[in-house]
Amino acid sequence: MDGSLGAVAQFLESNIGLVAAIGKIGLALVIALQVAPIMVWVERRQAAFIQRRIGPNRVGIFGFKLFGLGQPLADTIKLLFKEDFIPKQANKFFYVLAPIVTAVMGLVAIQGIPFAKDIVVAGHTINMQPVNLNAGFLYLFAMTALGVYGVALAGWSSNNKYALLGGLRASAQMISYEIAMGLALLPMVFIYGSLDLQTMIAAQSDELLFGFLPKWGIFLSPISFVIFVITMFAETNRLPFDLAEGEAELVAGFLVEYGSMRWSLFFLGEYAMMFTLSALTACVFLGGYEIPWLPQTELISMLTPYVTYEPATWIAALIGLGVLITKVAIFMFLFVQARFTLPRFRYDQLMRVGWVYLLPLALINVVVLALVVGIMRLT
Amino acid sequence: MLQLPELGLYFSFLMFLVGLAGVMFRKNILFMMLSVEVLLNAANLAFVSASKITGTIDGQVVMFFVMAVAACEAAVGLALIIGLYRTKASIEADDLKALRG
Amino acid sequence: MDWNFVSFVVMGIAASILSGTMITRRRPVSAAMILIAVMTLLAGMFGLLEAHFAAAAQIIVYAGAIMVVFVFVIMLLNLPPEELRYGGITLGEMILIAFGVVLAIALGTQVGQGLLTRGVESMGLAIGQTPEGARPLYFPPSENVKNVASSMFVDYLWAFELVSFLILAAVIGAIVIAKKRSTPNATAS
Repeated sequence: MDGSLGAVAQFLESNIGLVAAIGKIGLALVIALQVAPIMVWVERRQAAFIQRRIGPNRVGIFGFKLFGLGQPLADTIKLLFKEDFIPKQANKFFYVLAPIVTAVMGLVAIQGIPFAKDIVVAGHTINMQPVNLNAGFLYLFAMTALGVYGVALAGWSSNNKYALLGGLRASAQMISYEIAMGLALLPMVFIYGSLDLQTMIAAQSDELLFGFLPKWGIFLSPISFVIFVITMFAETNRLPFDLAEGEAELVAGFLVEYGSMRWSLFFLGEYAMMFTLSALTACVFLGGYEIPWLPQTELISMLTPYVTYEPATWIAALIGLGVLITKVAIFMFLFVQARFTLPRFRYDQLMRVGWVYLLPLALINVVVLALVVGIMRLT
Repeated sequence: MLQLPELGLYFSFLMFLVGLAGVMFRKNILFMMLSVEVLLNAANLAFVSASKITGTIDGQVVMFFVMAVAACEAAVGLALIIGLYRTKASIEADDLKALRG
Repeated sequence: MDWNFVSFVVMGIAASILSGTMITRRRPVSAAMILIAVMTLLAGMFGLLEAHFAAAAQIIVYAGAIMVVFVFVIMLLNLPPEELRYGGITLGEMILIAFGVVLAIALGTQVGQGLLTRGVESMGLAIGQTPEGARPLYFPPSENVKNVASSMFVDYLWAFELVSFLILAAVIGAIVIAKKRSTPNATAS
């Protein structure tokens, strides 16, 4: 028994890169897959509280009815047992492919989020970002850009005029707001000097702004933050930009021919994309996994008297993960709050906001911040 | 020993041949444009492989410009297809013989 | 087991086979989707060649914008599936197929591989060695985005500005060509 355990440990240590990569991807997948059930519950309860009612609180597990937390489980079981159909005139291959594309792109995009600072395992430093390209958060943009195809294919393959119109409108909306999204993040690249998210987070907890504020992106460039949050709503087809899937408008738009688990795959992808974009906002504008006035190096030095260095990095990583999830939870709360508070944009108003208001504002923001950063670097 | 960038050049040549076959053998203008995109992608792969072979960065910069030019060409080509489809309701190259002398 | 090499070979073969499949499709949407898959595979190959910015730009620009325009046009115009040609093979097709067969045989054996290496070495290059007189990198090779940006905005600045004018001209041209003509007695098209 001792020998085999030692052999396993030695195998793990010699392939530490591969094992670490699989572990990080697994962690990101687990987090992404848990977002959808939790958000379903959060959305129904928070909607109920906004609308002055109570919401689902009857479903319980083994008679343990705490705030209706068993409701997502009941929803999943119901959706699994519903009839799975493919409409007769629909294009079978693309009908099946569309929700897969949306769900997969949501799950893949989350791999670019850094969850904590480096942890040290058996002498090896592991970067807690599953995908760490030199192109930084451009990877996230790339996966978001590919998510457009899920919507377009869903609309087209349903062989239904309403679905096609809804799908094309939704994808046109998504690609229009991608431009403003990229331009809103460009000044942050100027300020922090790198596309890498870990560098941005490290630069945000460096020193204090005016002596008491943490040097977060939201204080350095609030216009970028506002533009990015607005485009975040448009990218995930959430209210007030959800004309494409609004039930009262276009008969649920591109989703009209989808039922049971295929429909829930779309929402899995949408919630995962919401989580990813909220995490990106938290990393770029709110300091990521760092506690506001307590950088992780100080945290580790606080923990070192009690545990050795390596477990201290693990504990700090767990705390960092918790902090990141807290900041993401703020944005998810904002998503649900906006959904049940604001009215919906009409489609031409939506496109006008994207092209006529947000794009010039983002461009002016880029120019102004480039000038400011350039002047500050020169002096 | 065969290395990655050389292999990239081989694959680029292979894809270029495939794209060329597509442009030559399809009569639908949209498919011809899709094959032209394959040609341009093969050229991009060759540029990036060459950049890795020589250790300079110029190949990737040129690849970026090729991508921008391909975007322009795709936009204008698709606008022409829309215009064609509107007036003639057909985008086969064989049907566009109004200027034939 | 060099996973990079194996992944590159698998992606390259998949990209070639998929692009060969694409040119023989009847339905335009299938061809467009296969081309998107080809571009994503190509982006993966760029990533393995350590051109990370090129990989990200390939997906964002090519697969995420250009192909979206293709897909929009196909879906909005409702283009019918094309009837594939039938009939005899022309001389040009025979020459091309023969050339492809010869090339496959050449590349598959040591002949073609040796040719390329000898060609590269005859120019005084070697894999990974910078030729004399070439522009050196501004930053270490691991900082790909910084290198691309510094080269593009310092050495190739004129080309960059001209390409931006080209994009502007293309945008204006595309809008003008595709606009509906509003004549007094025009019927809805």
